[in-house]
Order: sequence, then structure tokens, then C-alpha cells
Amino acid sequence: MALTGLDIFKQLPKTNCKDCGSPTCLAFAMAMANGKASLDMCPHATEAAKETLGAATAPPVRTVKVGVGEQEIVMGDETVLFRHDKTFYHPTALAIQISDTLSGAELDAKIAKVNALVMDRVGQKIAIDMVAITNCSGNAATFKAAVEAVAAKANFALMLVADAAGLEAAVPAVAAKKPLLHAATAENWEKVVELAKANNCPVVVKGNGLDDTAALVEKVAAQYKELVIDFGNQSQAKTLAEMVNARRLAIKKKFRPFGYPMLACTQATCAREEIVEATTYVAKYASIVCMKADEQALLLPLMAWRMNIYTDPQKPMAVDAKVYEIGDVTPDSPVYICTNFALTYFAVEGEVVGSKIPGYIVAVDTDGASVLTAWAAGKFVAEPIAEFVEKMGIMSKVNHKNIVIPGYVAIISGKLKEKSGLDVIVGPQEAAGIPAFAKANYPHLMK
Amino acid sequence: LNGYPLHPLCRSIRLTLPAASLQDNRDDLNRLTMVLRKETKCTDINVPLAIIRDLGEILRADNFKVTVLLSEVGGKAEVIAVEPGHSHRPLYGIAVDIGTTTVAAYLLDLEKGRVVDTAGTHNRQARFGDDVISRIVYAVDETDGLKTIHQAIIDTVNNLVSDILVKHRAIRENDIRVIMTAGNTTMAHLFLGINPKFIRLEPYIPTANFFPVVKAQELGLRVNPDAPVFSYPSVASYVGGDIVSGTLFTNMGKEDAPISLLIDIGTNGEMVLGAGDWLVTCSCSAGPAFEGSGITFGMRAMYGAIERMEIDPQTYEVSYTTINNGRAIGICGSGLIDCLAKLRRTGIIDRAGKFQTSLPTDRMRIGEAGPEFVLVWQDDSDLDRDIIISEADVKNLLRAKGAVFAGIRTMLNVVGFELDSIENVYVAGGFGNYLNIPDAIAIGLLPDIPVQKYKYVGNTSAKGACMALLSQEAWAEANNLASKLTYIELSVGNLFMDEFVSSLFIPHTDLTLFPNVDL
Repeated sequence: MALTGLDIFKQLPKTNCKDCGSPTCLAFAMAMANGKASLDMCPHATEAAKETLGAATAPPVRTVKVGVGEQEIVMGDETVLFRHDKTFYHPTALAIQISDTLSGAELDAKIAKVNALVMDRVGQKIAIDMVAITNCSGNAATFKAAVEAVAAKANFALMLVADAAGLEAAVPAVAAKKPLLHAATAENWEKVVELAKANNCPVVVKGNGLDDTAALVEKVAAQYKELVIDFGNQSQAKTLAEMVNARRLAIKKKFRPFGYPMLACTQATCAREEIVEATTYVAKYASIVCMKADEQALLLPLMAWRMNIYTDPQKPMAVDAKVYEIGDVTPDSPVYICTNFALTYFAVEGEVVGSKIPGYIVAVDTDGASVLTAWAAGKFVAEPIAEFVEKMGIMSKVNHKNIVIPGYVAIISGKLKEKSGLDVIVGPQEAAGIPAFAKANYPHLMK
Repeated sequence: LNGYPLHPLCRSIRLTLPAASLQDNRDDLNRLTMVLRKETKCTDINVPLAIIRDLGEILRADNFKVTVLLSEVGGKAEVIAVEPGHSHRPLYGIAVDIGTTTVAAYLLDLEKGRVVDTAGTHNRQARFGDDVISRIVYAVDETDGLKTIHQAIIDTVNNLVSDILVKHRAIRENDIRVIMTAGNTTMAHLFLGINPKFIRLEPYIPTANFFPVVKAQELGLRVNPDAPVFSYPSVASYVGGDIVSGTLFTNMGKEDAPISLLIDIGTNGEMVLGAGDWLVTCSCSAGPAFEGSGITFGMRAMYGAIERMEIDPQTYEVSYTTINNGRAIGICGSGLIDCLAKLRRTGIIDRAGKFQTSLPTDRMRIGEAGPEFVLVWQDDSDLDRDIIISEADVKNLLRAKGAVFAGIRTMLNVVGFELDSIENVYVAGGFGNYLNIPDAIAIGLLPDIPVQKYKYVGNTSAKGACMALLSQEAWAEANNLASKLTYIELSVGNLFMDEFVSSLFIPHTDLTLFPNVDL
């Protein structure tokens, strides 16, 4: 297990000088334990501390980078087995295979298709990350030509899949793009690793199962550490089991041979099954999933899944900030304003349901803070509420100009009225008072 | 003084300086500081310009005999006044605890090291808002708001001082030569007239955590105009000098101190966890429910407040005791905790605080704001209505107790300890005096650890302020503590929120945390 903040704290100078940017030494130690700070930010650390902490706080999974510039992919540096324990940091890179048997127009069409695998989801760009040029032809010269052609046009980082001869032919020409070489095996690793080292490229070490791969990685790592692990890909279940075991060993036991990013290739032949298989690897620790499927419609759900899995779960409990319709709303229905803190929203929702009077609930975006917390922090005050109500267009769905605000923020009603131009009704302080409030104010709407 | 030596922040020294002559032609300032340096062992001695201006005359008024008033901390000395001759003037100081709601002042005889008298009153800022947030809003949004609210607290302190001095005719305003204040960060800002705007806005940054020493006359305090006014340093926006002061008082920061927890069960719910060299702190924002605010019949602990109660498990009849045996007018904090425990024990509410409305008693009924339980019938109370507790009240109390417990769990989690590693629990704040520990454990407000580990410590803020006035070593340690206390921001990540939700049950969602509670 990683060191706790207190363990690290004991090695620090305890000057509380703030030179590291943290307010206290303990705060800095806790940031280090969370991987958000490194010891070199502390100008007063002793040599002894650097030695003990340097080793102990070394990341369990090494950071390896492929590609350059905008195409760069950062892999590894993961610290947990379950995202809810902290978060998963670097989303799985999706690599699409291109065979070197394609040429000319065929190849151009394929590259164009792959380049187009860029989509938009909740306002963010999502895309594949890598193209894997595969030496299916078995011919080194053909492979080199295909690699050069792809490198010239593709918008993504490169992975070169070939034997030693193929790699030797193709790598020097595209070394500047820092491609990932696939793969160093028990037979050829000395040659391939030499090539990777000479061209400063990361390399995949491909073994056969856990034991064999660990032994091979140990040999390779003695010479070169820019590695990605491939367990040999025999069956989906086996690959899953091996990746889970390897990641456990790397994090829980600090087993160094598995302290590298991992790569998985899909085995399924049907494109749909391939996607299902890929979702497994995305969820279970693969840093790269290499696949053949290249249809947008198939890849979109996989990319959405990846985005969800790699979302930071350390966010407050919040419902979507939007307008909720409770019951069979009509243009006469009341409009309740609350925050998007989950507990607040559900308290209000439960009571609106209980009032038996359909209504709209506007859950204002307060970053998941409750009514009074958000008010205290200036997030649930006249201006942001007025803006949000306006943005949601809710008042165009009703034939009145009334909004009901929580009783605890009665103080903002004047300013809110001024900013929104609406009639602000101060509701009860507790959500529990909503049924009585609704019955008193909207008896004609009772269902 | 909890182990600190009597070594007041301010003392007067009578000196006879070598007379100036053609052989000894040093300047007057140098003449003074050389002797002071020898006398105090301080290397860094500051003499303000205002004193230097008249120094020549003062030294010669009584043939180079002078009385010097100075404060010294950690090898640095600040000259406060230089007076001619070897007069003996009494030396008094005032320690002030600036609470959001109440302000307490202690008059200290610095030479004898004892409290002469104390006085307390309401903070006059209350008319601009009950809590720190409302006051920040007032100070920022109203014209001259900051000036008005600053003046309100100055007036409060001046009044306390004059109240005390009225009782001690021999002591004059001028004899009060030093002031020490301790209060939360917002109070410290408002006391010094510092704009508090950004305290409440994300990422919650106070303007200053360490405050300069100012002269009483700059703030308009009616004591000796040259008296230095010290302000306890803060840690963060919602952990202030009052907590640093409490940490000092409990000796939690002393080397080889066992793992201890200091909890101030109040609106802000500040707490400190630590053992000597490490200390973490947070503010769990429990809200004012335990001070009676936000509860239908909640009230402060005063005449007529229900403080204990029993509910018969068969008949659901309620028996209770009130403060000073007055006729009941409401329920104070300890009564509310007792009430919650008994409502649960008799099955009137479930673990989530929901009322069992089908109980065969007319005390259970549906009121305007949902289900409610009648504690005192109108005829037995001093009010013209029944005293009830509603489901909304119960939910409010659950949130308050949940926040406190979640704060404790979050701090433990951050440093990797379990509840049973805590050796001492110091319960601070006015409310602490009325708290029944087994009740508090039964509802899950406080951790289920042996009752003998709990200690009431009362108003630690005021006690720590007195300590700092009477001991330079204590004051130096207070400053050290403020820079050592590590603030944990509870709104970052969902650790606290998870703990909070789990704590919204009686006593908790995880019953293994409360092995000795049987409800």
C-alpha cells in the first residue's frame, strides 16, 4: 500500500514555511499521498527524506507517453483498482488497426475514415487516439511504405505492429513521431528493445501469460523502461484475468514488472462483439485497446463508456441542473426553485409529490451545494438564480409569473424580483411545509 | 496556565541609563537600546518613531531614570512606552473572546498573573445578522457596512471594559496596557476592519490569517491609547483564532500529546484532531440547531427551557425537567438531544427520523408542517400553545449531528486512524456545559468511545486568550499552532458528503460504529 500522509509527514522538515505552496507540512504530505504534489516542490527536504520517500512514493504504474504534440497519449500513472477509491486518471487509448496490405486509394480511404472518428459528447471532443499499422503482408518494405503513408496523413499517434525486421525497416523513418513499437517478444526482444532505445520510442513487451510476461519484462526493464505490457491475448476471459491480477500486483504489492501500462487487442471477429469486448478492457485497466472496428456508430458508445469510467467521481452528489416536471404539469403549475444538491432536490421532490399538486422544480446549478451552503458561498443568490431561470426558459411554459423560493433565503427575494422581473413568493423554510403551502396557495390544482 | 510560565506579554522595566557625557556621547536611542538588550536578552528591539520623537526630554526628566513598558516574544522586543522616573504603575491587560453571538472580556492583573474580573454581553453586530455569513453580506453589500459593523464590535468591547472598570474604581482606563483578542476568522476581520468579502466566496480565502499588532487608539478602544492590541492568528476562513486558542488551552499541540479531539459544538462546528506534531482541523457547519435556532420550540439554555426528559414506552407520556424548574417555554440543546434519543428509544421515530403516525396517543398528530409530537400540553406550559417537536425539527437535528460526526470521521480518514485511536475528546463551547455525553453518543452525535475519555473544557477561546496574555511562551506557541494546524476543506471530494449521508440515521447507517448503543 502507498504511504499515508502521516507517514510522509514524519519525513518532512516540519517548518510549515509554505514554500511548497501548501499551507502546512501536513497538507503537503497529504497532497503527496494523493499524488498531487512531489517532494521536489519542498526546498527544505533532507537527502534522507528524498531517498526514503522517493522510492516509497514512486508511482505504482509508470507513466509512459506515445506520440508527440497534440497526438501525445499519456498512459499509466494509475493508483487505484476501483475508480470510487480516488479516480482513474488517463483514459484508455483506442487504437484502430490498419493493415499494410492496403495501398493507394484503399489506404487513403481508410485513413480518411479513421481520421473522421472524432465526435462530440456533452460539449467535449471525443475521438480515437491511435492507429496501429499492422504488418499483415509480412514484407518489411511494404510495411515501411504503409507506415510512411499513414504517418503522413493520420491525425493520431502511431503503433507499429511487426516483427523485428519490419520494425527495423519502418521505425527510423517515423521515429520523430514517437510511435509505440509492437512487440518485443521472448525471441526478438534484444533487437527490438535496442531499436526502441536508439529511436527513443516506447515499446510493447509481449509475453505469454502472467509468469512468462513478468520474466520477460524483468529482463527488458534492466535495459529500458519505456514499456507497455501485452499478455499475449489468447481469450477475452484470460486477458481480463491477467490484467486484473497484474494491476493488483502492481498497486497492492508494488510488483515492479507489472508497474507499466497494459495493452489489450480484441479477439472477437464480429465488430459488435469486438466493442463489447473492448468495453471490458476499458473498465479493467487497459491503457490501450487495439481493435479493427472503425464504424462511428459502433465506436461512439465505447467512447462514451470510456468517458464515463474515467470521470472523476470525487464530485459532490448532485442532480442535473435543469427543470424537472413533477406529475402532470399544466401551465398553471407552480414553479419551485431549489439547488441541484441531491439531498436538497429529493427532499423538495418528495414533498411536491406529496402535495398532490403537480409542479416544476428548477434545480439551480450550485455545484451540488445545499440551499444555505450555496447561499453562504454566493452561489444561490439573485443573479445566478435569475440567469438560470431565464436560461431554462421555464417561464414560457407557464401562464403566470410566480416562482417559489426556499423560506431560508427570503432575504434574496427583493433582489431576485428586481433581477428576474418575476413575482417571487417566499415558500416555507422546510420542504416538509410544501404540501401545506401548496394546498393553501393552489387549492384549485389539487389532483 | 497549563504548564506555561508566568511571563506576561507586556511588562515594565525600571532602568537607570548611563548619563550622557563628553566621554559617553552615544545617541539617546542607542543608550536606551543597549541597556534594554542587556536587560531583556532580546537582539531585535524596536522603538517606534512616536516614542523617539520625545525620547531626549524623557530621558533627562529624571536624570536618565526611566520606566520602559515593552512586549517581547521570541527574541524580539517592542517598546510600547517610555516614561520618566521609576514610577510603579499597575499593569493590566484585557483578554477578549469575540464570539459571533456573545463577547466575553477578562481583566487580568499581569504582574500577579490572575483574572481580576470578567464580563460578558451580546455581540452588538447581531443586529446585522445572526451568523457570520449574514454579517459578511452586510459588510460587503451595504453602504458603509464594514465601518458600521466594525464600530459595533469596538463599541461592544468598550462597553465590556467600562462595565468591568465601574466595579474596580482603583483601575483606570490608562492602566490597561495590552489587549488580546480571540475570535473566528470573520470576527477577526471585522474587529480590525478588514474587508471580509472573499471569506465566503469559493475558494474561501481570508485576507489574512496572521494579524498585525495595532495600537488601541487606532481601533478606538477606550484603554491606554498606546496599548498594543494582539489578535489571535487564524488557520482558514472558517477555522479562526478561537480554535487556535482552544488548541493551545488543551495542550493538544504539546510534544508527545496523545491523539486528541477538540470539538466546538456550535454553529460552525470547528474541530481539531491531532497528537503533538500533527494537527488537522475542519469546520463542519453543523448549523445552529443545537443552540435552539431553526427548531420550532428551540431556545437557549435559560429559565424555562426543557433540559431533560423521559418518555414512557407504553403510554408515551412525557416527564421533563426545566432549567430552574420554570414553567416550560421551549427546549434547549441538551433537551433536544435527550428528546431525540427518547423519541427513538420509544419507537416514536424510526432510525431515519420519520414519525410513526399510527401510534395510539393523542400526542402524535399531523400539524401544519407535517407530523409532530406534543411534548408539553398548553396547560402545563407558560405559552398559549402546545410545545411540540416536528418531523422537520428532527430532520434538522439529524443534519446537525450528522455534520459533526461526519466531520470527525472525515478527519480520522484523512490521517488514517479509527475512532478507537482517540484518547481524549475535549468538548468546547457554551453548549458543552449542558451536554449529556451518553445521550449524545446514543443519537450518534459523538463517537461511541468510553465516557471517561470525554472532558468538558468550556470557553477555551477565552481561556487561551488569557494564557497568551500572561505568557509569552504561550503566545509564541499559539502562533506556532496556527501555522501548524492543517485545514481540511470538506467541500473538496465526496468523503465528507458520504460520511454525512451515512450519519443521517440514529445513531448511524453503520451500526458497528456504535456497538454500545442500543436503540
